[in-house]
Amino acid sequence: MRLIARYVKDLTSHFELVTVYEDEITRETISKENPSFKTLMREHPSCIWFERKIKDDFGIKIENAFDNRRLIHQERFPQNISPMRKDFTQKEIDFADYAPYKYEAIEGDGVFQVAVGPIHAGIIEPGHFHFSQAGEDMLHQEVRHFYKYRAIEKMLEGKTLFEAKKIVSRISANESIAYQIALRDIIVEASKMALPNSLRVEHAILLELERLIHHFTDLGFIPNDAGFASALAYCSKLSEDTRRVMKKLTNHRFGFDSIGFEKLGFDTLYLKEFMENLEKEISFFEDWIMDIPSLWDRFDTTGILSKENALKYDAVGVVARASGVAVDRRENEFYKSYGFELCLEKCGDVGARFKLRVAEVKNSIAMIKNFLEAYKKNSMLLKESESRDGEYFSFVESSLGEIFMSIEIKNNTIERFFVRDPSFVNWQVLHLMMPNNIIADFPLINKSCDLSYAGNDL
Amino acid sequence: MIKFWLKRVKQGILTENVGLNSELESIKKELEASIKKRFAGSLAIRMVDSGSCNGCEAECNALSNPYYDLERLGIYFVASPRHADIMLLSGLMTFNMTPHVKDAYEQMPHPKWVITLGDCPVMESVFEKTFAIKAPVKEHLPIAYHIKGCPPTPEDIMRGLLEFLREG
Repeated sequence: MRLIARYVKDLTSHFELVTVYEDEITRETISKENPSFKTLMREHPSCIWFERKIKDDFGIKIENAFDNRRLIHQERFPQNISPMRKDFTQKEIDFADYAPYKYEAIEGDGVFQVAVGPIHAGIIEPGHFHFSQAGEDMLHQEVRHFYKYRAIEKMLEGKTLFEAKKIVSRISANESIAYQIALRDIIVEASKMALPNSLRVEHAILLELERLIHHFTDLGFIPNDAGFASALAYCSKLSEDTRRVMKKLTNHRFGFDSIGFEKLGFDTLYLKEFMENLEKEISFFEDWIMDIPSLWDRFDTTGILSKENALKYDAVGVVARASGVAVDRRENEFYKSYGFELCLEKCGDVGARFKLRVAEVKNSIAMIKNFLEAYKKNSMLLKESESRDGEYFSFVESSLGEIFMSIEIKNNTIERFFVRDPSFVNWQVLHLMMPNNIIADFPLINKSCDLSYAGNDL
Repeated sequence: MIKFWLKRVKQGILTENVGLNSELESIKKELEASIKKRFAGSLAIRMVDSGSCNGCEAECNALSNPYYDLERLGIYFVASPRHADIMLLSGLMTFNMTPHVKDAYEQMPHPKWVITLGDCPVMESVFEKTFAIKAPVKEHLPIAYHIKGCPPTPEDIMRGLLEFLREG
């Protein structure tokens, strides 16, 4: 059974450990005296980060763990503070003495280590990759992140859902619409509102538009990392065109603060024409790019993730679907009625992730056209009311994969905010793609997954 | 590939006409002239993200798309701080990134300038101060210029660089 998330809530008298699976949610009580819990790292390797995060956040011991290292608290972070506990209220901490981090490394005759990051060579977010190399061959890689850790979970505590909107909108710019829809679903449930279908359609158009922008960016950058720059020129044009449409619809190039309860009102004729043009562009692109043998020589059999490993590591999104795992939160009646088709690939290599993105672009264009057929340009404004106390969950399929959000509300304000970006599980899968590949292919493999650092680090 | 080149020739150069007004064209010309005068033809920028949402980075990447094509003005994003005139710093300057940002700044040869990009590094974004945030950046590094926006558009960034060159 797929594990979605594992996190802790501080309930003042005790802690509660929540484990969310595909079909069930389990809860364990943890005493505040010598707090500890049993690890699930062996059954679900994705728990390695979930549990190490819990240890850093709350100071709870992981029993029987094979990995007890600090995760989000890095070398200069003070020891023995647990910032997610309710009694931690400091707004400023000082740098502590440097405590070295012991990397997972393979040692031996002629084996050497290559450290990359946190600041990378391109225009990209910060993160660290640690390679064990035998010449060109990658033996092992450890991904180490959380350089962007802003403590967003803590920042949102004590705010109302409406006050949280602007921050949630900016957790990860590439997935802004998806995060806003996740919060929208929780607001709707917590305040007992009914979401009219026409508003849902409007938001769904924006979500697919966001997916198009992100997929176009990747369809340019992946070939670019294999030295084929003309694909980047082609696709960055499409990405910019689509971003300008986003700006036209939401008055913001990334759609920040655009998912609300007032209808924006779209010009359907203009949008339809734009989509028809995109359809031609992507067909041309596919026809052209599939016929470049030197490019596919780099793509095929590079960075393979087997279906078995994708399942074992609870992978989601594009990474999972390219390895044949059918996991997509859009697989429901609403999306199917507008033409959603689950796209899958088998090989799990760079080529599969590339082809999957092409297929998803085509499906998103088709869906937007269907949404537009059903779109009514009436004005609508829903009144936002108070949120009822309780625990609420939502799931949204962003351009990267499944976002899981859980918010506990007490006295109309957020008591605990938890969100698991698709990248949080997929980053832990990345190292499985490295063995049998040379280090020069790492940027290509990494880009083919295009995971988020900001959403992961929070 | 022949199909692609036929389409390419037919399409022509996008940078000159689509979606950009004449004002931006004059800015580009001015920018080109300032860079020639002050930086002997090229301006090297090291982009450092100290904890952003990735929006500022996406917009900097967009500067290289055919519509903006920043490099033709002699402005380059370089791979190492040791090659840079300017550090373009985005994000909230997190606790975890602060030592690395300072390291990168140390590695830059003189003369050097820091330009902050977007509302985050100056603590004017929607994010509030937490224990994990060390912004505003001015407490750690000298700031020569600030480009505001959440995130600043590619056009804002080009205008900002020009303004910096004028003032500097």
